[in-house]
Amino acid sequence: MSALGDLRRIKGSTRGSPQKRDNRTALAFLLPWFAGLGLITIGPIVASLVLGFTDYNLIQPPKFNGVDNFTRMLSDERLHQALGVTFTYVMVSVPLQLACALALAMLLDRGLRGLAFYRSAFYLPSLLGSSVAIAVLWRQIFGAEGLVNQLLALVGIEGRGWISDPSTALSTLIVLNVWTFGAPMIIFLAGLRQIPIMYYEAAAVDGASKWIMFWRVTLPLLSPIIFFNLVLQIIHAFQSFTQAFVVSGGSGGPSDSTLFYTLYLYHRGFNSFDMGYASALAWLLLMIIAALTAVNFWAAKYWVFYDD
Amino acid sequence: MRIFRTRRASGAVALALASALVLPACGSGGSNSDLELSDKPVTLRFTWWGSDARHERTQQVIDLFQKEHQNITVKGEFKDWNGYWESLATTVAANDAPDVIQMDELYLASYAERGALFDLATASKHLKTADFDPNALATGQVDGKQYAVPVGLTVYSMVVNTDLLAQYGAQLPDDSSWTWDDLKTIGDQISKASGGKVTGVQSWGFDAGGVNIWARQAGASLYDDTGNVVIPQDVLAGYWSYLADLAKTGIAPQPSVTIERASAGLDQSGTATNSSVFGTWWNTQLTSLTKASGQNLKLLKLPGEAQAKSPGAYYKPSMFWSVSSRSKYPAEAALFVDFLANSEAAANVLLTDRGVPANNKIRAMIASQLTETDKAAVAYLDSIKVGPAPRVTPNGASSIEAILKRHTEAVLFGRSTPDEAAAAFIKELQVEIDRA
Repeated sequence: MSALGDLRRIKGSTRGSPQKRDNRTALAFLLPWFAGLGLITIGPIVASLVLGFTDYNLIQPPKFNGVDNFTRMLSDERLHQALGVTFTYVMVSVPLQLACALALAMLLDRGLRGLAFYRSAFYLPSLLGSSVAIAVLWRQIFGAEGLVNQLLALVGIEGRGWISDPSTALSTLIVLNVWTFGAPMIIFLAGLRQIPIMYYEAAAVDGASKWIMFWRVTLPLLSPIIFFNLVLQIIHAFQSFTQAFVVSGGSGGPSDSTLFYTLYLYHRGFNSFDMGYASALAWLLLMIIAALTAVNFWAAKYWVFYDD
Repeated sequence: MRIFRTRRASGAVALALASALVLPACGSGGSNSDLELSDKPVTLRFTWWGSDARHERTQQVIDLFQKEHQNITVKGEFKDWNGYWESLATTVAANDAPDVIQMDELYLASYAERGALFDLATASKHLKTADFDPNALATGQVDGKQYAVPVGLTVYSMVVNTDLLAQYGAQLPDDSSWTWDDLKTIGDQISKASGGKVTGVQSWGFDAGGVNIWARQAGASLYDDTGNVVIPQDVLAGYWSYLADLAKTGIAPQPSVTIERASAGLDQSGTATNSSVFGTWWNTQLTSLTKASGQNLKLLKLPGEAQAKSPGAYYKPSMFWSVSSRSKYPAEAALFVDFLANSEAAANVLLTDRGVPANNKIRAMIASQLTETDKAAVAYLDSIKVGPAPRVTPNGASSIEAILKRHTEAVLFGRSTPDEAAAAFIKELQVEIDRA
């Protein structure tokens, strides 16, 4: 490691070295990407920060109103409802999704025949899960005359309109998110492949059961991967929009039971001519996600084990 | 194995976070006061919402207009009702609004009072409104300015399936005198006779029409002249109690079915699928409903009209034509609106697709070409006794139907009492209006 660092330092100090020229070429090729980053990502982010401190109805120019938007959040009952719905969704669906992903990754890791096929089959929902088509399909499956109720009818149970009943609507979205466990599963699978076989052999020699091996060998060595998946899936789940938008017909209903944070933000901005407040809401979401991610990184010190 | 190894990782996380932010846009004014027609090539953008059938008809009308005015090109931009308003808000914000805009009563004041619409009276040289009833024309005015021209008129009505009525042995009620209790009685009779397979009534409570009628029959109104919410809480609570009763007693379907159908659109409604006998609709929807249902449907006057303190029924403009205040070609845009509103050639194509024409001359002209159901809709509109139209939906209240729907859902599922819902609804709507 240090020898490589020395080498880099030596190379870096040579003016006009081939590496420097390479860097310049690379920068030239990256320019379009940087332009896009500036125009499409950073520009609007800065604009939304400014708009967060204004009253802006989209039609007339924004008017500065100080921190009014932020104090308004304290008494905004629908915002509190949206936070409740979103936290429930994240806290329930992410652990379930990761558990499913890990369980299937371990099954597939046993050197199954046709592994490539199963891997693709289980990964497919991840590609489709946040698409409009799947959300529409979900409406059909969980509708009053949908597949779930037809199956329940076979065993003599009378179903209900799962999506149109406020007590079950959010659960159907959680099931949808859990079903898209393919992406973390692929990462788990790669992680499992990296655990040296010798640890298991040593454990077997010491007479450890499969269960002990899982708890004492697999989980600790896989913890960095679990951590990675956890952080990414939490961020991803907080930003869910399409599923709730399509499944609830854009309303976050019935009776606000699927009012995701992003959906509420969208309604304020684009349906209620309230873009200043919506921009402030976007920044609150950013802060919530940043804070949760920071807590995650802090907590990681106590449970994530790095082998290197 | 370590994935979050370096500063690069925190960069990646920051980027993932950054995508949480939305993209807003700014715009500023700029208008043209020259109201002479240009002889150079002019391109107008024209936006509307609607079904595929409407898109085809509208495109035909555009072609007719372009044939008459060789230097004007009209580019159509059409969408679904839901995406339409988000898209209009963002194009207006980006100073890129279409020149000619199909407008709805819910949004008219929100756009007009914020200066996004052009005062059409200033272009009266190109746009004639003489053939319109003054009362109809007034529905397109905000603060005394003609920001919009009404396209068609509709009235709220009770649609009844007479085939199902006969099948379950019920008599057609006398709609000149029936009450809301009569509707409950006959609805209950049908629900019982069908064993719950067909319900007597399809629940409503998701559109502004129903609540307007209820308030007006009680001698009240949703808004006062200055645009404040003035519907008395007990009147509104009575409305939701009635709807909750229908669901509880099986006269209307169970709440989850009602909500699923309400969000699925006309074709999957109880009326269209012949699973409810009575349902509230705008009169001009009769044609689409009959097509979907395949059975005999009839328009009845609303219950309670005979006993009402003042007539609940009113003419609602089905939609309006308006022109963007930032249009570079207001004269040509007004000329195109004139063609849509007054041309017989255009009317022959459009017929009642956008409501019974508000232009009296056009309404008489197309009468003979209408289908049976369209004729019934026109006859119904002509026969009904209406009161003065309610005030235009105030600036800020354009989301009233979303708010109504949410509270109706809460009541149907027993999450709020009708009284709680009424109090919360009034407060919430007033806050939206005050904020605008």
